[in-house]
Amino acid sequence: MIRKTRRKGTWLAATVLAVGSLFATSLPAYAETGVTSKEIKLGITLPLTGAASPGYNKIGNAMNAYFKYVNDNGGVYGRKVTLIQKNDEYSPQLSIAKTNELVLKDKVFALVGPLGTANYTSVHKSVGIAKRGIPSLFLNTGFSGFGSKKTYPTSFMVLPSYAMEAKIIAQFLKENHAGKKLGIVYQNDEFGIDGMGAFKAAGTKFDVSVAYTSGTQSAATAQTWVSQLAAGGAQVVVFFGVTSATAPLLAVAAGAKYAPQWILGSVGADPLTLRALGVPLAVLNGAQTPAGNPSPNDTSDEYVKQFQEVNAKYNAGTAFDDYVLQGMNIALMTVQGLRAAGSNPTRKKLISAMETKGSSFASVAYSPLGFSKTSNVGHTGYYMAVMDANGDRKPFGGKVKLYTTDSGSGPVVVSTFKRPAMPAKGLPSNS
Amino acid sequence: MELWRKAGLAVRKKVAFFILIGWALLLIGDRVDELRVYQGAQIAMYTIALASIVLLTGYSGQVSLGNGAMMAVGGYAAALTLNNLGSPVWFAFLMAIVASALFGAFLGTAAARLSGPYLAGTTLALAVGLPEIANQFAFLGGVPGLLFDVGFPPARFGEEFSQYKWFFWIASFIALLALFITSNILQSRYGRTWRAIRSSPLAAELSGINSSRMKILAFTISSALAGLAGAVMAMTISLVAPGAYTLTLSFALVTGAVLAGVSSLPGVVFGALILVAIPEIADVVANRFGGGENLNNYLPSLIVSVLLILSVIFTPNGPGEKLRRHHHKKST
Repeated sequence: MIRKTRRKGTWLAATVLAVGSLFATSLPAYAETGVTSKEIKLGITLPLTGAASPGYNKIGNAMNAYFKYVNDNGGVYGRKVTLIQKNDEYSPQLSIAKTNELVLKDKVFALVGPLGTANYTSVHKSVGIAKRGIPSLFLNTGFSGFGSKKTYPTSFMVLPSYAMEAKIIAQFLKENHAGKKLGIVYQNDEFGIDGMGAFKAAGTKFDVSVAYTSGTQSAATAQTWVSQLAAGGAQVVVFFGVTSATAPLLAVAAGAKYAPQWILGSVGADPLTLRALGVPLAVLNGAQTPAGNPSPNDTSDEYVKQFQEVNAKYNAGTAFDDYVLQGMNIALMTVQGLRAAGSNPTRKKLISAMETKGSSFASVAYSPLGFSKTSNVGHTGYYMAVMDANGDRKPFGGKVKLYTTDSGSGPVVVSTFKRPAMPAKGLPSNS
Repeated sequence: MELWRKAGLAVRKKVAFFILIGWALLLIGDRVDELRVYQGAQIAMYTIALASIVLLTGYSGQVSLGNGAMMAVGGYAAALTLNNLGSPVWFAFLMAIVASALFGAFLGTAAARLSGPYLAGTTLALAVGLPEIANQFAFLGGVPGLLFDVGFPPARFGEEFSQYKWFFWIASFIALLALFITSNILQSRYGRTWRAIRSSPLAAELSGINSSRMKILAFTISSALAGLAGAVMAMTISLVAPGAYTLTLSFALVTGAVLAGVSSLPGVVFGALILVAIPEIADVVANRFGGGENLNNYLPSLIVSVLLILSVIFTPNGPGEKLRRHHHKKST
């Protein structure tokens, strides 16, 4: 009888505990999700492993390095900035699962620098980014669809759109490669299709067109791409894909002694990553590429110099390349966004700050930022660069000729925009 | 009303029981945070998937390692229906059931001629190959897959009613309905026939049972359930993609079924709970040992494998079955 009563008591206690914990977990801990008096929690999903990880797997650590630098210098209004990285292996379903973890479990204040067009399209819908009012800053993808303020009211791009990039390359082809046989290799998702649409609108006609599916890039598939390009006699080949696809393409082409004039899209033209993937940098010699940022080796650039110092101290052992530069620049802009949101940041204040002050943020890229109440487009232009046998790049023609445009039918124009100076010691003081 | 009166007491009790469970789930869904609500939807999805294994393996005695592939068939059928026909969501779920049942019937015809490791091997090949076929056809969306958007919850539920709660409601309703129907099938003469075939195929044949036909029927119904689970999964991630229906998923389902006790329908809820808990456990372990994100991604598969091996070694019929027998022995 006693044992029965005890057992009943245990069950009752367990039930009370279980129900209690259910209620406890539903209570909000702070006034704003992801912000305490000491910390601002941010999250990013990116491929840390898998076929698409080379290069991109450096971005999170680069951002963390810059945040640590800021934290060591007082943080953002006294709050430490913490970045939680989640490995989505560049797969949409993992991206959704990991973003759910960031939002529901880690309860981050905002997402920063999410990668991948297909990934973010799915995440935005599945997690309900807009409906929940979650700021999603500096999407590291140039799909022009993300520029729709109506569909993506809380998301902000950082890269010029792929459509802008294609329009600028089309202009460059007209100016410098007229009359030559043109070929293109592109990723057949929103990324490549976005670009192809813009090429078509700009009147660029490719004699050879090769599409590949994301995730299928390999030496074997690159053989078929090169065979088609060579058979079609393409003299100038535009590549619109990721670095893990550039690598087999260039390696196989070099092996087959096929040497067209390469024009590598900005997404897939990082030389250090290409070298890590086994591509001899000599094949890059003379390759042309649209670039938004200065070369990561250009120590005369105040941004590059400052970021290199941060990298040496807080990200030791990691080679400073375009990905590290991009990661740190996103972190720099994030800190400006957080500061602009005020000393008591809320998600609404951050979004409003991005809309009203975002276009004036300091950024390493040469082109202006397009943020406004009606636009969530980030950088709006590129200059064309030429790579040398070390994979370093210099502006085509010896000096930066900045082209700016929009994702629609607007013209491509040469811009005289002067970017804002790097904040003193690389520490923003804006409000 | 007439139907209700005509139904036996046992059926009426069962209906009342399922309604009670549904009501309890609604209450719980209102009181827990969004993470738990989302996990609740996943539990409902796994419950349906595990029920398909219980029916196929636990009752008809056919071992399939290809349930992930069946889920893929359902998921893609639902997405294609919703995206191309612009149909209501319920119709997309219905088409998931129909397509996967047809596929199951076709496969079951071949499966009825196989048994033991041969059947397991065939279904394993299916689990490996079928989702990858999606990569080859543009209309299936390739690696990024197809969006499966069931839409926002109705406005009358209010602004606070989250997308996750909407998923949870739909998934729970479907799971309860699926379990109710499956439980009735298993308690009907079909269930008894399958058990007879599993216990002794020869004796069943001698009793006049057409075991091939019954096995095909089991495969068909099991596939329909798996396809439904696949569509529910697609709803919870708003996507169908080859990467969602991996071999790892098929193994996880087998592990969940074994842990639940492969012939126990109520046990599937326990198995589903374990499957949802495994990533949580992996997260705790990875954080504890500083393994970071990479370990976090691979640890769940490792835990699934270890659990499956341990279960097969120590409790071949699953710990759920052992507990039930222990309890049964104690009460008698």
